[in-house]
Amino acid sequence: MRILLLALALLLPAAAPTYPVVTPGKPFAFPRDHGAHPTFRTEWWYVTGWLKTPEGKDLGFQVTFFRTRPPTDPANPSAFAPGQILFAHAALSDPALGKLQHSQRIARAGFGLAETSARTTDIVLDDWRMKRTPDGRIRTSIAGSEFAFELTLTPSQPELLQGDRGYSRKGPAPADASYYYTLPHLKLAGTLTRAGTPVTVTGQAWLDREWSSNYLNPRAVGWDWLGLNMDDGSALTLFRIRDAKGAAVWAGGSHRTRTGQQTTLAPSDVSFSPGRLWRSKATGASYPVAPTVTVMLRGKPLTLRIKPLFDNQELDSRGGGGPVYWEGAVTVPGGRGYLELTGYQSPLKM
Amino acid sequence: MTAAWQPPPTTAARWMVIGEWRAHPARLVIGALAIAVGVALGFAVHLVNQTALASFDRAVRTVNGAADLQIRAATPAGFAESLYPRIARTPGVAAASPVVEIVAFASASTTGTANPAPMTLLGLDVLRAAAVTPSLIGLPPDRSSPFDPDAIFLSRAALTAAKKNLGDRITLTAANTSRSFTIAGILANTGNDQAIAVIDIADAQWRFAQLGKLQRIDIRLAQGMNRAAAMAAINARLPADARLVSPENAQASSDSLSRAYRVNLEMLAMVALLTGGFLVYSAQSLSVARRRPQFALLRVLGLRPGALTVQIVLEGAIVGLIGAGLGIAIGYGLADLAVTLLGGDLGGGLLGRGEVHLDFSAPAALVFAMIGIAVAIASSLVPALEAARAKPAIALKNAGDTTDPRHRPAGWPGLVLLGLGGLAALGPPIAELPLLGYAAMALLLAGGVAAMPFLARALLAPLQNLSLPAPLDLALKRLWGAPQQAAVALCGIVASTSLMVAMAVMVSSFRGSVDDWLVQILPSDVYLHIEGAETAGLDPTAQARLAATPGVAKIRFLRQIPLRLAADRAPVILTGQPDPAASIPLIGRTIPVPAGEVAAYISEPMVWLYNLKPGDRMNLPLGGKSRPVFIAGVWRDYARQFGAITLADRDFTALTGDRTRSEAAIDTAPGTDPAKLITALRQRLGPVIGAQAMFAEPRQMRAVALSIFDRSFAITYALEAIAIVIGLVGVAATFSAQTLARTREFGMLRHIGVRRGQIMTMLAAEGALLGIIGVIAGLALGVLMSQVLIHVVNPQSFHWTMDTRIPWPLFAGLAAALTAAAAGTAALAGRRAVSADAIRAVREDW
Amino acid sequence: MTSPPALTVHQLAKSVPGGRRLFHNLDLTVAPGEIVAIMGESGIGKSTLLNLVAGLDSADAGTISIAGQALDDRQDDARTIIRRDHVGFVFQAFHILPHLTLAQNIALPLVLARADTAASLARAITMLANVGLPGRGGDYPAQLSGGELQRIAIARALIHDPALILADEPTGNLDPETAERILSLLTTQVRASSAGLVLVTHSDCAAAIADRVLVLGPTGLTPR
Repeated sequence: MRILLLALALLLPAAAPTYPVVTPGKPFAFPRDHGAHPTFRTEWWYVTGWLKTPEGKDLGFQVTFFRTRPPTDPANPSAFAPGQILFAHAALSDPALGKLQHSQRIARAGFGLAETSARTTDIVLDDWRMKRTPDGRIRTSIAGSEFAFELTLTPSQPELLQGDRGYSRKGPAPADASYYYTLPHLKLAGTLTRAGTPVTVTGQAWLDREWSSNYLNPRAVGWDWLGLNMDDGSALTLFRIRDAKGAAVWAGGSHRTRTGQQTTLAPSDVSFSPGRLWRSKATGASYPVAPTVTVMLRGKPLTLRIKPLFDNQELDSRGGGGPVYWEGAVTVPGGRGYLELTGYQSPLKM
Repeated sequence: MTAAWQPPPTTAARWMVIGEWRAHPARLVIGALAIAVGVALGFAVHLVNQTALASFDRAVRTVNGAADLQIRAATPAGFAESLYPRIARTPGVAAASPVVEIVAFASASTTGTANPAPMTLLGLDVLRAAAVTPSLIGLPPDRSSPFDPDAIFLSRAALTAAKKNLGDRITLTAANTSRSFTIAGILANTGNDQAIAVIDIADAQWRFAQLGKLQRIDIRLAQGMNRAAAMAAINARLPADARLVSPENAQASSDSLSRAYRVNLEMLAMVALLTGGFLVYSAQSLSVARRRPQFALLRVLGLRPGALTVQIVLEGAIVGLIGAGLGIAIGYGLADLAVTLLGGDLGGGLLGRGEVHLDFSAPAALVFAMIGIAVAIASSLVPALEAARAKPAIALKNAGDTTDPRHRPAGWPGLVLLGLGGLAALGPPIAELPLLGYAAMALLLAGGVAAMPFLARALLAPLQNLSLPAPLDLALKRLWGAPQQAAVALCGIVASTSLMVAMAVMVSSFRGSVDDWLVQILPSDVYLHIEGAETAGLDPTAQARLAATPGVAKIRFLRQIPLRLAADRAPVILTGQPDPAASIPLIGRTIPVPAGEVAAYISEPMVWLYNLKPGDRMNLPLGGKSRPVFIAGVWRDYARQFGAITLADRDFTALTGDRTRSEAAIDTAPGTDPAKLITALRQRLGPVIGAQAMFAEPRQMRAVALSIFDRSFAITYALEAIAIVIGLVGVAATFSAQTLARTREFGMLRHIGVRRGQIMTMLAAEGALLGIIGVIAGLALGVLMSQVLIHVVNPQSFHWTMDTRIPWPLFAGLAAALTAAAAGTAALAGRRAVSADAIRAVREDW
Repeated sequence: MTSPPALTVHQLAKSVPGGRRLFHNLDLTVAPGEIVAIMGESGIGKSTLLNLVAGLDSADAGTISIAGQALDDRQDDARTIIRRDHVGFVFQAFHILPHLTLAQNIALPLVLARADTAASLARAITMLANVGLPGRGGDYPAQLSGGELQRIAIARALIHDPALILADEPTGNLDPETAERILSLLTTQVRASSAGLVLVTHSDCAAAIADRVLVLGPTGLTPR
């Protein structure tokens, strides 16, 4: 899903304004850093997770708010000047349906119709919201034509700063990086409405916060991302950026135990084995929907066989100018989370 | 009676009909032609108007995208942009797309043409427009930024008008600012008609002096939403200077633009068809009269009366069918020609830029063909019934012409119809159309024709006692003795003459009134108009600069802006000008303005369209508020059919806050050469606004206005000419039929020693007498009908009045031409009858 | 079974619109194949009598039956059908339609009764030969002399095998020689068809072909 925003960012011309560069060692401050960083080129509030319905059925869900800063003439006094563009996307994975349902909103910031706050998480995009209350809970509500939900996410663990205290390398150059922190193991409660019928849902979610001006290395054609809430309270984050040959341009991630013991993973600590391929009838793309990942954790290899909630969690957003990708709920023995696979239908264009 | 309505035996009917037409093909041709002309005119006018309307509608829809609803600013100044979030949050609104809409010019310097190419410049938020009006979004082929301030997207028409290609630079001028862009893409879904340019809304606001303003908000309603409730909710949030417009409103207002004009022309075409019907009637009744013994024989041999009626009507229907088919083909050709030569609105000047495509409409063709056939059938019905009623035994022995000079034709049916016509003329418009006025015209026409036998007798009575040479006396006696037959010959000529006279009087009255009006409203020596000055015109500095030009004795600045008073009506023109009471052609009384109130002068159409009169107060949506004004007077305006309001310039500035002006009237100092003064003025305007400036002298403006007038009435002139031709053809056909029917009479006259020349003289005299009676009746009826046109039809459809002017020279020429033509055709037809074998003629039974 | 009389007239009375009585209590029966001539002064009402018999005019009193079918109390439409199916006409002025061919003119009574067109024309061609004008079916009446026109009329009167033929001065417009030939043709044809013939005439020559000659007077028909 991150790919959607990047596709949007790619629409921006080369003659971009000077965006701040992501540098290591910048200390994070909360709740300030829960809010927007509007000078950076891109930013997201990215929630994935699992819902349990009153009948005990498991569903995957994802809701994301993106912010991007297109190049504008700062002298333009118009209230419509497109200084910030907000985009939001939500998807629901229901095995009973066998495919994704999704919905989105997009607007240029302004007029109170599309706004972010620089003080804390407080985003308005038409009728969609994501707001952090002072007690640390995050409320989000979205409405689409096929489904709507209102969720409250309650943190059970402190912020997990990825990479080097939140400086997360994404490529060989030091500037190929983002500021990145995660809130894993979010307790979830709320209401899911489908076909006009609201039901109470519970579950567990994961929030990724990332902002950057230069996310993707020019050699990259796609990436794989995995975030797992383990039953023992630990959290595993993995990502791999691939080149045209399928080799890793960069890889990384982190592991944090329930007690807060954190391990940052270097590129050499992460390996993906594709495993079974699922071929999409709709797009013709083949995805490694059940890969096996191996990470070196404190000198010991940890191998996880990933199993998707169901195979067809592909999303084709070409109609709106976006890419084709796979993003879905997955399980591993002793944990569950979300897997994102991009650049398999055609290479990401730079 | 009911059992009698049976189809005639097919074979017998076919033999009879084919035999008749083989014997008299001209009769078939003339009848069919008469119907064809009417159908052709009706269909052509309809096609052209439908095409014009469709392209106008397409134009409106193109610029509007496909929004469910639209909020439009009352004036080009727009409304405050703060309305946008309020509308976006209104329940029921799924998406709201803010729009800046201004008129811009692709500058002459970049197009390389003398005239700047005007286009509608839209400033859009693509992200919002995507959900409401996707057709207005240009997709850049190279995926460049949708927010790129340098990018502009043009419709194909705009690209053509500016003579540009994709990737070229283009300079647009609006609001006294010029700015250049790169053409980044084409608006592929806007059709080829409209010149539209799209840029980002923020840049449009900033670069073209529209900061904080919008001209439009396009709205998409939530699915399943109660539309009326949503519209009510939106309306409740609107400021005074914005209007909620639905596509139906827009349709209604574009329809109202051409409706009156279109309906007028279609009615005229119907009238032409009616004339054709009279011609068929006269041809059919003569043909039936001539064949009375033949029909009698068929009756004796066993043809049932109902079957005979059906057979004769069928004959008329076939004439109608042939005529209608021909008429549809001719009509399409005519429409094609008219569109090519005159443009989509027949020169009416209602359509702006854009081209017109003529579409053949099968349902319309069918309707007009059916009307043509129906007219032919109706025209045959009277003679058919008459033939079936005739006693076969008597009719068999009697060869045609069974007239009894003692029989006095009744005058009352005609008088009743004329009276009904007069009553109908007093009626109000129906659905804003002068339908009763047209009914009045039709009734007057019918009344006039019905009164013809009576009138012919009355007119000829004084001549009865004169001692005249034998041929003249015979002619007179015949017409006096057979007024019904004379009337049959006359109805075509009276119908066409009266219609033509009515149109001629109306057009000449209109033209004369327009000419007078132009003299009144153009008292100065030089006029300046800034094209596309809706967004900005001449600011006070520029005004002072122009006023100080040497050679300017006096200069008056005016500001004109369109003002949308109602969602379903075309905008009116609001003018601010110095001392309006002294410079506009006021009609009727003016009312003193109460202290502290603002005087407004409304044009004549406003009186009709908005039901206003002097002494009333109305609210003008200006500057975000409703501004009450006092209507001090009404003035005559032939230029703006949809209404105009004039304020004193001080009041205009006070109400709108707009100090710029868009026109100027200049009195030159004695001895100043207007051409040199124009050059000097143009220099002082500067290059940006100079490109939009148009100078004219009253003489040119009058010439242009009158030529536009003549062009828009070209179609009516054509209709008039055709009506005359129909009339003459009718006279010729009738005479030739009547003279042929009287072959025996001529044979008898020749037997008893009347010379061939004398018979010719007699026939010519009959023709001339008929012509004179026809012209007198036609003129009288036509002048009567013209008064309906002038005092009922025009005020009700165009909302303006005029003073009657009779085109005497035209009348004199018409009278002479028609009389001569009637006499000539009569004599010509007589030649054939007289040259026939006289002996055989006497022996012949029919 | 004997066929009904071609014509039965019983107690017929008729006055002209002015009030003058033409005849009353008039009786007449014409048997099939019988030729009856009716003579009388001009204006005595001979043509009116024929019109009444043909159903073209209404009597003041009395009844008329053609081939056993009563004309009285019937609408014009029904009388037209009886006339069409059972009566043939021969006129003084021939009344041949100028723009129909001879065959078409002769076939007219059949096509008016909606008979098959081709069969009707074929029969007309036969009739044309019977009246002595073989092979001229495609000609137009303008090419014919008066006698020839009356031959066409006789053929037309007989083509549909009528029960009754009404002839009104059939030789009035012909020279004596032609008249004689026409009368003999008429007699032959009528006899051959077994139709009754009512012949109204001034001419003694014409009356000579009749089986009975009656004179019309104010009191009715009296044998001469």
